[in-house]
Amino acid sequence: MTLREINDVEDLYEYLYAAIQLEHATIPPYITSMYTMKPNSNLEAYNVIRVIVVEEMLHLTLAANVLNAIGGAPNLIKEGFVPEFPTYLPNGEEDFEVNIESFSPKTIDNFLMIERPAREYQDGHVPKQFTSFKNTSRKRILPTYISAEGEEKHFYSIGEFYAFIGEGLTKLSLKLGEEEFFKGDPERQITPEYYYSGGGEIIPVTNLESALEAIRLISEQGEGFEGAIYDNEGELSHYYRFEQIKLGRYYLAGDTAGNPKGKELTIDWDAVYNIKTNPKMEDYPEESELYEANVKFNTYYKNFLAKINDAFNGNPQNLIPAIGEMFVLKNMAYELIHNPIPGKEGVYGAPTFEVDKVPEISKV
Amino acid sequence: MSNDHSKITYTIDHSTASQKVYDVVIVGSGISGSILANEIAKEGFSVLIVEAGPGKDLSLTGYEKLLNTFYTAVTKDNNAPYKSNPNAPMPRSPKVQKARLGHPNTDNYMVQNGPFVTDTSYSRVVGGTTMHWEAKTPRMLPEDFKMRTLFDKGLDWPITYRELQPYYRMAEKEIGVSGNVESQEFKHLDPITKEFSETSLYADNYVYPMHQMPPSYLDKCVAKDINGTTLELDGDKKELKVRSFPQGRNGIPNVEYRKYNNGEVYRPVAAVSSHQAEIGERCQGNNNCTPICPVQAKYDARKTLAKALRTGRVDLLPQTIASKVVVNPENGRVTSIEYKNYKDVNSSEYESGVLKGKIFILAANAIENARLMLASGLKSTSNLMGKNFMDHPYLLCWGLLPENTGTFRGTICTSGISDIRSGHFRRKQAAFAVDIHNDGWGWATGSPYTNLLDIVDNKNKYGTALRKELVSQVSRQLLLAFMVEMLPETSNKISVNPQYRDRLGNMRPVVSFHVPDYSMEGVAYGRELSKQLFQRLGAEDYSIYDPLDYGYVNYNGSGYAIRGGNHIAGTHIMGTSERNSVVNFKQRSWDYDNLFLIGAGSMPTIGTSNTTLTMAAMCFLSAEEVIKDLKKITSKTEIASPIYNSISG
Repeated sequence: MTLREINDVEDLYEYLYAAIQLEHATIPPYITSMYTMKPNSNLEAYNVIRVIVVEEMLHLTLAANVLNAIGGAPNLIKEGFVPEFPTYLPNGEEDFEVNIESFSPKTIDNFLMIERPAREYQDGHVPKQFTSFKNTSRKRILPTYISAEGEEKHFYSIGEFYAFIGEGLTKLSLKLGEEEFFKGDPERQITPEYYYSGGGEIIPVTNLESALEAIRLISEQGEGFEGAIYDNEGELSHYYRFEQIKLGRYYLAGDTAGNPKGKELTIDWDAVYNIKTNPKMEDYPEESELYEANVKFNTYYKNFLAKINDAFNGNPQNLIPAIGEMFVLKNMAYELIHNPIPGKEGVYGAPTFEVDKVPEISKV
Repeated sequence: MSNDHSKITYTIDHSTASQKVYDVVIVGSGISGSILANEIAKEGFSVLIVEAGPGKDLSLTGYEKLLNTFYTAVTKDNNAPYKSNPNAPMPRSPKVQKARLGHPNTDNYMVQNGPFVTDTSYSRVVGGTTMHWEAKTPRMLPEDFKMRTLFDKGLDWPITYRELQPYYRMAEKEIGVSGNVESQEFKHLDPITKEFSETSLYADNYVYPMHQMPPSYLDKCVAKDINGTTLELDGDKKELKVRSFPQGRNGIPNVEYRKYNNGEVYRPVAAVSSHQAEIGERCQGNNNCTPICPVQAKYDARKTLAKALRTGRVDLLPQTIASKVVVNPENGRVTSIEYKNYKDVNSSEYESGVLKGKIFILAANAIENARLMLASGLKSTSNLMGKNFMDHPYLLCWGLLPENTGTFRGTICTSGISDIRSGHFRRKQAAFAVDIHNDGWGWATGSPYTNLLDIVDNKNKYGTALRKELVSQVSRQLLLAFMVEMLPETSNKISVNPQYRDRLGNMRPVVSFHVPDYSMEGVAYGRELSKQLFQRLGAEDYSIYDPLDYGYVNYNGSGYAIRGGNHIAGTHIMGTSERNSVVNFKQRSWDYDNLFLIGAGSMPTIGTSNTTLTMAAMCFLSAEEVIKDLKKITSKTEIASPIYNSISG
């Protein structure tokens, strides 16, 4: 997806669609890595990643709230919403892949790349920080950006991307008048009553202040606040959470980046199912149990997204039962991950997340 | 902001603790001790908690180890998550054996004199018995506090329901209760007019912090056939209705609760963890709520304890058994607690010492409080220490429903029948509450594990056929548990005998217990009612009470297998004077002014409510009293200190 400078509400709709897509795109790699850990092993690492996933879901919901607040409509069922794995993150010359793969040191390194902190801001102005590089891949988590001069640019980090959205919100709110701009139906907001589980407070968005608060929370939970490892809420940011797994030690409040002083975090890198990296439907022999299980998973996942989408589009009360379905998804994923692929010695199955290749099971 | 995950500091060694004089020394880290510790520490006072059992690891990983012990345990009893610990043993229900006439049952930690042998249990670990509780939190009824006046049975409390009401609210906030006030508005007697009252049990349009747990599909199926059943009992006309139970597990916050929470929506308290965990803020409907919730959505006392420890004014000494309460005979005040500290559950080695404080609080539970007081050889003016021991007798009735009701889904129990909790009939027979168990016949027969073994071993099924058979067997199961009222009797008691000691030489509790006829009358009525209900539901009755069962009781020609309720109470009952009770309504010992005995042991009657909520409410009341005492002591010290300074200077 290619974005332009934010000049009108339609532009922001596109940015926020991209934001929701981006937040979602981290979930399949993260949960797959968790689910590849063998039962009763790596409990600590599992819990570290689990908290991040919970927060990504909060971010997704917050982005949906912002989009709803300005009269947009979240769309999680559009074709192409779920990226095709491997997918790419823009990081200049050393372009790298984000994969669906087993829990491993390399995977954690990739997760660190996804969550890497923004470079230092100058005057709080972001656009001039963009890295300009040529990469024509259509499969990227972060969208590209075409500058006023027609130059294709890339956001260096997720934080930069949100800072840009924040600027756009402020600019349009001034231009159109706050009341006119935040004209979305407040009934479409996901409020604390409907939001399941933690990861910080869900913020109902009704004006510029709450919109910027939502954006701030997303950025800081991901990457920390102005270079600090803890955010304003005193929570460790995602980058440093993953780093705990890499370094094998927990951070404590007051620690500095790269130098955790907490308890040891023990990891058994061998207690992991070795899954096929970035599996595709074709990897499973047709009519095999794995093939069936994968179709079942993808269908269920597609339907799951449809239910979340329904909740974000005027039926917030449907969010609670929808989230409950994640338990079913987890068990379905285990059916794949705990079973070897026929004919491939020691390589296990995994969900392919190819939702565009399966029909929906039921209308919401 | 979200739940506090800052570091929990409490590490202190015994020699440091022994040198300090704490404002308060508390024995027991269960819900009572934890509430007192937190309330007192919030006011700036220092607190030491001694806990007999292990469990200082308040991390998520530590908790998951307990879960894993439970998952891999062959017998899934209430104490299955906790390692056997001969240094601070606890009752284990699978070890209970039938009484033999004239021979006390000494195999288990509790020595049982009989005639009734109870399988009631409690946990000696950090967090106490909330580490296995079911978390049902109904309030007691106004009439329960006036049993003697209204029904000429049992005892009156020295405090009324209305007086306890504000403390009930504090307890419901602390525990985090999910419930529906309307579902608890069944007809109950007004203790003053003695007639059925329509007055709400909950004043000022009160609501619980969170909405009720969603009733299970099983609840709905049962309600469909049972709602509207009428019966007449001692002149009272009753119409039965399936109602949801309030419970201490996290649900969806009720925005109306703002009024009772300083304008804020209630924030569910998540898992206890020293690192951000984001787990446990909502019940996930796992069916194994007892002994321990897989995600810590169920309240346990460690949630309160963690808050207390975070004040920085509370020290915790686990693996430390209070072995003696020491009193200065001259002024009748408690001066210290003697302890035995073991380093390892696998070794009988221990070190002993003395802990000093200004005020002492025994919060070790009804059996352990009495045991410690009696083992300390302390006088009791009323001679009631250890007496009036109570526990809810449970009658289990199980049947197979005609259709699949999705049993084994949802939390362990979401609804039941409460209409027989109140009425004039209580002058003749015990009241009861009925639970509809979402975990099927588990309690009675060990389902679903026993079903699985049967299908594999006896029916030789495997694969899809095995799965189908298992589902068809368990998903029609219905178990009704009748929780029957029990009244205080001095012959039901806890005592000690130097002949019976644990590995560290501490005297074990000796239980003398029989189920009073008043309760058995209720049990018999409950059994008859269960048959009627099964008939209405078209259920096949599978209830069998084996005469060889350790809990078998013969009453009026019929036999019943009675189960313990784990609601141990009444060994140091509260009353109006040192002659009729052990403590006053603030749970202060009549005999020892700076000693409080807190918990369900102080309850003179237990009605038909699970005891934890009421005991928590009583603890909030006691906390106010202890804080008042401490402020008095502090102000005296402040006045005294200039004189001291002038002398020393």
